[in-house]
Amino acid sequence: MKAMPTLEGGLRIDAENARDWEFLRSIITDAQPVGPDLASRLGGLITEDAGAEDWQEFVVPDLRESFNDELNQVAAAIESAAYHAGNEVGALWITPDDAYPWYSALNQARLALEDQFHFGPSESIKLKSLPVESRAAFLRSMFYTDIQGLLLEYVMVRP
Amino acid sequence: MADTDTLTYTEEATAIDLPWNVIVHDDPVNLMGYVTLILMKIFGYDEKKAAVLMMQVHKLGKSIVWTGQREKAEFYVQQLQAHQLKTTLEKAE
Repeated sequence: MKAMPTLEGGLRIDAENARDWEFLRSIITDAQPVGPDLASRLGGLITEDAGAEDWQEFVVPDLRESFNDELNQVAAAIESAAYHAGNEVGALWITPDDAYPWYSALNQARLALEDQFHFGPSESIKLKSLPVESRAAFLRSMFYTDIQGLLLEYVMVRP
Repeated sequence: MADTDTLTYTEEATAIDLPWNVIVHDDPVNLMGYVTLILMKIFGYDEKKAAVLMMQVHKLGKSIVWTGQREKAEFYVQQLQAHQLKTTLEKAE
């Protein structure tokens, strides 16, 4: 799999085989939380005197809907690109308009993996010492970070 | 029958409405460049100011990124949380 910036200010991800498409689909499966979802956890940061009750009632559902929409948008983009490629060699384009939903979906996946495996700072990870399942999850998390880095550098324009 | 006088006192009390702090906390996932970008996008800060606040988050664990009226502070917290930044709202001391 290769990822590169495009002349149109977006990002292009080249999948080379069915395994690459599966790897991309893992963004969506990895983003499913093992515990409370991201919206609930963010909402849980608001204290009583800051209006926790109202926050839970009015803000958290909006956050949840927004995060789910972003994941659904990315899932649809992956499935559409995989379909057109016949699940084999093909490209997936991320336009500047799609950058934030993609960044969000990748972040949700990384947050959920971090919650599950508690990697901590990547510099301190000794890959060989990790159990196989954690190692695979860590490598996926690193791939997601690399795509986020490309999005930040080339696609998500400074305001 | 004695006359009764009724005296009415009116008191006015003025209390200072304390400002609220919008605080961004460090987390193991959000990239430093992303935090800087979001602070620029939401508050309109220039890159230098946003980067200083981001470094406070990174090195000190949290940073007060805005202080002011409660309603506006709530709006900013909502915006920052929508961008998946760990954000809280606290009354300024």
